[in-house]
Amino acid sequence: MGSVRHGTALLTKGTNVSIDSAPVIQKTTPRSVVARTFGKWGLSGAATAIVFVGFVLVPLVPGQFWIYVATEILILGLLAMSFNMLYGYMGQISFGHAAYFGLGAYGAGLLMRFFRPGGGEIGYLDFFLSLLAGPPVAAIGALVISVFVVRLTGIYFAILTLAFGELLYYIVFSWYSFTKGDDGVQGLLPPPFFQDAVNYYYFTLAVVLISALLMWRILESPFGYTLRTLRDNQRRAAFLGINVRLHMSVNFVIAGTFAGISGALWGPFQRSIAPGLLGWQESGVAVFMALIGGSKIFIGPMVGSAIYTFLHAFVTIYTVYWPLTIGLVIMAIVLFAPGGVLGLFQSWFDRMTKKNDATADRSAQTRQDENTL
Amino acid sequence: MADLNALLIQLFAGLSRGMVLFLLSAGLSLIFGVMNILNFAHATFWLLAGYITVTIYAYLADTFAPGFLLLVPAVLGATAIMVALGLLIERVLIRRMYDRELPEQLLLTFALVLILGDVIKLIWGVQNRRIFVPVTPMQAFGVFINPYYFFLIGAGFAVAIGLWLFLHRTKYGRIVRAAVYNREMVNALGIRIPMIYAGVFAAGVGIAAFAGGIFSPLLPMALGNDIDIIVQCFAVVVIGGFGSILGTFVASLLVGIVYSFSILIWPDGALAMIFLIVIAVLIWRPWGLFGTELRS
Repeated sequence: MGSVRHGTALLTKGTNVSIDSAPVIQKTTPRSVVARTFGKWGLSGAATAIVFVGFVLVPLVPGQFWIYVATEILILGLLAMSFNMLYGYMGQISFGHAAYFGLGAYGAGLLMRFFRPGGGEIGYLDFFLSLLAGPPVAAIGALVISVFVVRLTGIYFAILTLAFGELLYYIVFSWYSFTKGDDGVQGLLPPPFFQDAVNYYYFTLAVVLISALLMWRILESPFGYTLRTLRDNQRRAAFLGINVRLHMSVNFVIAGTFAGISGALWGPFQRSIAPGLLGWQESGVAVFMALIGGSKIFIGPMVGSAIYTFLHAFVTIYTVYWPLTIGLVIMAIVLFAPGGVLGLFQSWFDRMTKKNDATADRSAQTRQDENTL
Repeated sequence: MADLNALLIQLFAGLSRGMVLFLLSAGLSLIFGVMNILNFAHATFWLLAGYITVTIYAYLADTFAPGFLLLVPAVLGATAIMVALGLLIERVLIRRMYDRELPEQLLLTFALVLILGDVIKLIWGVQNRRIFVPVTPMQAFGVFINPYYFFLIGAGFAVAIGLWLFLHRTKYGRIVRAAVYNREMVNALGIRIPMIYAGVFAAGVGIAAFAGGIFSPLLPMALGNDIDIIVQCFAVVVIGGFGSILGTFVASLLVGIVYSFSILIWPDGALAMIFLIVIAVLIWRPWGLFGTELRS
């Protein structure tokens, strides 16, 4: 029963991924400026460009604090974007996605400690080798778990991913001899060049940018469009001859791998890792970010990460009642902006880029047709 | 071999833990079955009710002599307050979520968890609260056991039987069960679905509040307890099968006892054992031990 309603809700909503409309503009009005500047790219492209420029400029802000915040935004944003490959594009909500983030962090962190058993600064080669070890660990974890979770959908998918995530958490938590359990792994000092906050920030930006480009390439490929079909109507997809479980499984592993990349970046950034990285609270953060920013738009989760992380850094300066604050924010978003912050912009943007009502209605109609698949 | 007495005490602790889980999961399962809302905040209502009970009890104990009987007005008062709060939340917030997607519903109720958790912190501070009811341990099966365990287990059984009788033997119970299977048809028969929704939500919150009240002498109320419990309630509901009172009951006892004994063997991993059961059930019988395949 639940799944049926879920499915129809998704169908009527359709996808909001912008398609170029390229209207011809004569007069110069605020509306036409927006349309001329960004209409060609669509909101997704415009938002991506703005976000990217913003990130490049962050180190101009005085003070190390905001560079740390921006690095955190990037890393958690990549985690949220990888989560959104499952949620926004495949229509399944995972409550255990941080497990792969944590596996990536532990894969990289433990190898760093292997190269430098006492902890402390390590060489460049060892550093890069360690980082490279993170994503495969996450991918293997995701591969094993995907075999089981892709058999289910909806609430059952959510709870099974949660259960596996928590299981991994408890394994890391309890396996003291290998993972140092609750103590976590300390002293993950990167090589001298990367100890500088700005350098590590730009390094993170480069890795996240490359990951995002890869993710975009995957999601705009026929594979990506098959995922959208699975989201909108899994039964019809199966009738079309699509191997549903295989596609879900492959996407699950890819999303887990990207989560692993972000996890690998986390240890050298924080200089330590702890089992909590795998826990469901961390998974919940990824879910929040995707929904705050807008899960129907590619860059949405990154925007959500910026809002969430910035708010967290800002609010915790003044009060210990952070949960209350973020709770009210989430409630407001769910009630008044169900498409997330970018979803709000999307409707505004659609109004701004309309040429006139008649053609706009027609193009909106074609867009609807194109998007409903 | 482990001490037999210790095992027996652990069994009673597990059974009473199972009763908390049952009282919470029954409401959770009913609300999900009827309204299709998975209420993340269910255990937070339970926790809030526990704090309210402690406060009413403390107030009464100042006026009268502390004792077991004072629990009755304290629990009833807390339950009444929570039912009113439940109705208010259903009318103001939950009502808007009926046609939304599952993640949005989860997110809204999770926002409630965060907000109510901080409200508790604002009102009661961060210390744990509990009621000290003067009871003398009684001897049963050769060990000394807090007699309150028997009361709790009895109360759990009473609610389970009462709920079953309500759902299967009364007119309103039949309407609720009908709404689980086909709410459009129930609506078409002239029954006002919004009233049913509000009633079911308030009743679920009421049972949770009752559980919070009667357990406050046994479990200290602490921030974060709600999250610990709600995850286990999800486990119970999945293991038992959504919408099955019997399944929820059996799964609650199973999870309570497994948790209780795992603490003896692998203290850090007690929850991991429960998740293992969840994984096994979801892979083997996704609709739960007592659920029907139709509802998966």
